[in-house]
Amino acid sequence: MHIPDGILPAQVCVGGYAIAGGVTWYALRQIHKTSDPQAEIPKAALLAATFFVGSSINIPLPPASVHLILNGLLGALLGWYAWPAILIGLFLQAVLIGHGGLTTLGVNAAMIGIPALMAHQLFQLRHQLGQAFRPSWSLGIFSFLSGAMGLGLTVLIFFGLIIFTLPSTLDQTTEQTALMALLVAHIPLIFVEGIFTVLLTLFLLRVKPELLES
Amino acid sequence: MAIAFHTNIYLPGESPIHRWATRPKLLSLLALMFAIALVRHLVLVPWALAIVALIYGCSRLPLTYLLRRLPYPGLFIVAMVGLLPWISGETVIWQWQWFALRLEGLQIAALVAGRFLAIVITGFILLGTTPFLDILKALRSLGLPALLTDMTLLTYRYLYDIAGQLATMQQAMRLRGYGIFKQTVRQQWGWLGALFGSLLLRSYERSQRVYKAMCLRGYGQGMNLSNTGVSRPLNGVTRLATSLTLVAAFSFVLGEWILSRL
Repeated sequence: MHIPDGILPAQVCVGGYAIAGGVTWYALRQIHKTSDPQAEIPKAALLAATFFVGSSINIPLPPASVHLILNGLLGALLGWYAWPAILIGLFLQAVLIGHGGLTTLGVNAAMIGIPALMAHQLFQLRHQLGQAFRPSWSLGIFSFLSGAMGLGLTVLIFFGLIIFTLPSTLDQTTEQTALMALLVAHIPLIFVEGIFTVLLTLFLLRVKPELLES
Repeated sequence: MAIAFHTNIYLPGESPIHRWATRPKLLSLLALMFAIALVRHLVLVPWALAIVALIYGCSRLPLTYLLRRLPYPGLFIVAMVGLLPWISGETVIWQWQWFALRLEGLQIAALVAGRFLAIVITGFILLGTTPFLDILKALRSLGLPALLTDMTLLTYRYLYDIAGQLATMQQAMRLRGYGIFKQTVRQQWGWLGALFGSLLLRSYERSQRVYKAMCLRGYGQGMNLSNTGVSRPLNGVTRLATSLTLVAAFSFVLGEWILSRL
């Protein structure tokens, strides 16, 4: 779900950097409002590294296996720190293994990071809307929604970007049909991401609940 | 995992590209990458590749460095443009039964793949000739917030440790029967959830210890991990390399502008 270098026109890449710059400014402003922003840096950095590494785990989905993005879970656990964590994760993926790209870093960050921030807001809603359920049920429901929404929005932005930047010389109808088919093929992945987020948050609830509350 | 094969990203050397001061090198090569991303006419792609090949030659990085790094990102670009020549366009240039190679699709695929190669190789030149810490210091001196550079440094520092830890945990899981005994998908997901959860926990607990150690060393008392001070004197190599790269970047912008007017 990363857009590599060379796919998007330079104008879109520059636009991506502009959006990423604006979100970075706002996220850092929110972070600096906390009592001790520096105390969270090691936690955010190590969890970012863990998500980077953990996204390489093969999840069996017969007849194949998939890799997760986990931006919804990252948003749920790290809050505003999810944005710098994703930006840094994508930068390191681009420079270390060539996955994604440096010119598309802004676009990829916006595509994966903004849904993560929205997933965080959704995850926090459990404190208001989840009162009617048992704590584990409330956590499960909002984890699923956060995880599924994180990937769902990313997929929508990804395909939107590809469709709107298709070269005019291509057969638009054929391309859009192919992309729609690919979009539909991602729906099971959105559910897998949601389910996996539930499994992880319930695991953390059992063994380290403070990680969910921070 | 892919990260395990990419531990040595910087190769020390004495080439002109190695001696190029970090800040101008970073800015010039980024400008070149964006100029190449701007290219929409196939005729400019061989020029972009030639210029990047020339810089790569000047960097004296071995060809194996490139060949080791290209396959992983290359797979993604092949997956994204590989089908275009077969499904897109109207001018059929070769046909065998229902397989038809189409000119327009082929041109777009060549354009995208060419741009991708040129940009990715430029990125590899930057990383292969500049220590990662110097790149971070240059970014910091260019105004990137300290929080971002500190986080990047810590993430980079612990990335390989965590990758090693995951590999050990996966081996332990296999020794306990994962993937050997018959399991349902639900059971496998449970195991993998616990694996990733344990990795998160270990990292979280480690981060608490790391923070305490950092505080004891003065972190948070006006000290950042990535202090500025990467500047080297602007030597002749830096002036020449920066000017030539910026001229090349500008010529792509100009060439693209002229070709779009024709």
